[in-house]
Amino acid sequence: MPSTTQPILIANNISKRFGNTQALKDVSVSFLPGEVHALMGENGAGKSTLGKVIAGLHAQDSGQVELDGKKLIQGSLDDAFHAGIRIVHQELAQCPNLSVAENLCLHDIPKRGFSVDFAEMIRRAKDLVHQLDPTLDVSKPLGYLSPGRRQICQIAASLDRDKNGQANAKVIVFDEPTSSLSISEASRLMEITRELADRGLTIIYVSHRMSEIFTCCDRVSVLRDGIFVATNVVAEIDEPTLVQQMIGRRLKTPRAKGESTTPLQSSDNTEADTIRALVAPDNTTEPNYETSPALTLTNVSSPNKLSDCSLKLYPGEILGIGGLVGAGRSELFDAIFGTDKRVTGSIRVGAQEIAGKGTKAAIKAGVGIGYVPEDRRNQGLFFNLGIDENILAPIMPELSGAFGIRKLSNELDLVTSRVERFQIKTASLRQTHPGELSGGNQQKLLIARWMSDRTKVLLLDEPTRGIDVGTKSEIYRLINQAADEGLAILLVSSEMPELLALSDRILVMGEGKIKGELAGKSMTQTNILTLATNEDLVIN
Amino acid sequence: MSKSAANAENIAKQQGAKKSFIGSLFGHQESGLILVIILMALGLTLYGAARPVDSRQEIILPDSARVILLDAQGESHEPGTIARTKIATYRVESDGATTDYSASKINKFDSTTGTLYARNTINPFLNKSNLVLVTKDASFFAIIAVGMTGVIILAGIDLSVGSIYGLSAIVGAMAVQSFGPDASWMLVVPVALLVCIAVGTLCGFANGAMSVGLGVHPFVITLGMMAALRGLTVVIPQEFYGTQSIGGFPSSFTTGFFKAEFYGVYPVPVIIMVLTAIAGWFVLSRTVFGRRIFAIGGNEVAAKYAGIPVGKVKILVYTITGALCGLSACAYLGYYGAAETNAGNAYELQVIAATVIGGASLMGGRGTVIGAVLGAIIIQLINNTLIIFEVDTSYNQIVMGAAIIIAVVIDQTKQRIQARRA
Repeated sequence: MPSTTQPILIANNISKRFGNTQALKDVSVSFLPGEVHALMGENGAGKSTLGKVIAGLHAQDSGQVELDGKKLIQGSLDDAFHAGIRIVHQELAQCPNLSVAENLCLHDIPKRGFSVDFAEMIRRAKDLVHQLDPTLDVSKPLGYLSPGRRQICQIAASLDRDKNGQANAKVIVFDEPTSSLSISEASRLMEITRELADRGLTIIYVSHRMSEIFTCCDRVSVLRDGIFVATNVVAEIDEPTLVQQMIGRRLKTPRAKGESTTPLQSSDNTEADTIRALVAPDNTTEPNYETSPALTLTNVSSPNKLSDCSLKLYPGEILGIGGLVGAGRSELFDAIFGTDKRVTGSIRVGAQEIAGKGTKAAIKAGVGIGYVPEDRRNQGLFFNLGIDENILAPIMPELSGAFGIRKLSNELDLVTSRVERFQIKTASLRQTHPGELSGGNQQKLLIARWMSDRTKVLLLDEPTRGIDVGTKSEIYRLINQAADEGLAILLVSSEMPELLALSDRILVMGEGKIKGELAGKSMTQTNILTLATNEDLVIN
Repeated sequence: MSKSAANAENIAKQQGAKKSFIGSLFGHQESGLILVIILMALGLTLYGAARPVDSRQEIILPDSARVILLDAQGESHEPGTIARTKIATYRVESDGATTDYSASKINKFDSTTGTLYARNTINPFLNKSNLVLVTKDASFFAIIAVGMTGVIILAGIDLSVGSIYGLSAIVGAMAVQSFGPDASWMLVVPVALLVCIAVGTLCGFANGAMSVGLGVHPFVITLGMMAALRGLTVVIPQEFYGTQSIGGFPSSFTTGFFKAEFYGVYPVPVIIMVLTAIAGWFVLSRTVFGRRIFAIGGNEVAAKYAGIPVGKVKILVYTITGALCGLSACAYLGYYGAAETNAGNAYELQVIAATVIGGASLMGGRGTVIGAVLGAIIIQLINNTLIIFEVDTSYNQIVMGAAIIIAVVIDQTKQRIQARRA
């Protein structure tokens, strides 16, 4: 626990400007030894930038970072590293073609004579990785691992020790560490975070996940639009106050459940209730289970990925798919969307059979499946094209005339209406590229691509990953609204409260199978985890 | 929904806001290339003006004409009775009419044949035939570069274009030759086009189908095709004719069509290039197919998840590139009147160079047809510069290599600056 000792790390009057954006404005924060200190704020608030300035990834325009009273050279990753500061990136920056061990030892590959000492390398890597995940095979290429396990490897890289087994690191910056982790991995990470802090390390925890702050952090500093708002002791603050500090306004909370806005530990589904209230204060319209299902899967299997998955999805329903990373959730989507062609079994949209017929059959008019994949950067967006064409990609042929000659006015009408409906904040429709948008707007762009009248079934894979609170609630509202209008939605999310709040029913997957179905009162975090792991796993 | 309305209004405002003319000129990727071309042309024009070359032009005099030479004082002399340096005016009297030529305009008078030689110097760069020659030389590979732009935008590569060009030319030549010398262009030209383009299309389709179907990187497939097709190009005329070149085409195919003369120049290949470039620009920017090329080059995985038929688009792009090789080969046959087995040797390098100088990114997702054509013209301008400067043409390759690297470095720097500003 933090005491009233001297701070180990002080960030003094840091300012940083990127082009026209003032990312940080005269921000001062001090960090105590042995504390987990959260940096919170919406996307673009500057929390990540501050973390990167501390780690020497960005050079600040003014102000200094002091570690143990010694000023660090600004913008020098090397200086920060030797002083004992480590950073775990938000975006995975690793070499997928090399083994886990090589990735972990990349900065200092052990040698015997002129050759690489593979045994020593693997020993070192195991020493690091097995602190977090004892079952991970470090000789595997990193690219073979799930995003969750890759993230774990990267966190492990900052746990390097000297010859006496002492950690070299004094301060570790975690930049959105759990954004690509499954629930169990995330809770394991939080345990480790506490463990590391108890060993005396200072953890700077950049995150906007409320539950994590209350689970594992000692203090939390809030930034808003690059300005320091406050540093709070976590034990003395509640969620609404924190949210208010972050967004400068109070989120609407349900009046009837006024007292349930306390932190997550107290109750399983509180956060879900908050989301539910936020999204649909007047209770969502129930999906119609009397009609014929919009999507029917019967015994869908794919070699090494899925076995015997069956489900029915009704118009107007949001069917949540729960489970851990690697449970086969994204693989199920690939099967439905036709990107996996080795699928057996039956996939029917209405009366049309599309199993194994490829993507073209899945998206064609009359079938109308839309897919928002999990990784918007690598699977979703075209960074070389404008906002308009990012939205138009799947439907451009239908808006065009003979020989596929585009009708620009048709396109503009459609893009304008989508951008308006989704309130995508963009300077221009044609000249702006997705890279210039915030994460939240990128995600809205991707959802806008598929939300049209012709889409009957929408597959959403982690629709709110890595985006800020405000945009999240907007996306929740859009998803709910679309379902109310009759769209059938399959939703994969690793964010429990989100899954619980949005879904009408939840299917839990594990090892490529559907392990069970939850509905009504049985939809709780504990039940999902129990089904997912087939064992009594309880967080906290 | 006032927020939404405000947002829409904002967008409309942004769309409506026209950039200044100069701003939009510099915003375009091609503006830099045009600037380079203008600067080079300007430099060459000035250099040419300072060092004009003689063009031998005879002034044909009628038999009845009498030439009197006047000196500076206006006194008449008979030819041969006055030193050439003292002549001020050449006076030609014929049928009572008198024409004076200033001595500065006349090189000499040959009294035995009765011919006046004009001192008509021309700018070695800025004259009609040189300018058409430069663009004509560029046009053969610029036509292919239009297709290569699509390939490069896909993040692919096609090393076999030179060999496809060679093979199309040889097979096309065999077809054209078989018509005999007097066939009508109405028959020969369509058949020649059909044969050349068919050969190119087949080869291009093979490239695309193999790299997509077998999942092998196009570098490998087209490298193999480059060697194999060149081999075919050499073997076919050897087996059938025992020669290295096939010629003897009907004149209706050469001077009657592809080397037709207009106003003293031979512009048909240039016209074909311009039409191809316009078509290429249209396809890339105004058709669904074209935009899909960009999408795939920008993010192939995302393209798959957006329901774009990635394999089909790729095969089509390679096929079109092959077809353009055939078209270019046909123009080459008609223009030069013969096909050599080494036709299009090392063309792949010139074509890729033109595309890359034109601003296409080998990482995919970026490139323009107009840029590629301008790139081809720049390459030929460099060639022309060396000729005008009377530098040994062996130096060509050194200069061109440097030009490629410089062009790409400048382009990337520009991109980086733009990205930082955004």
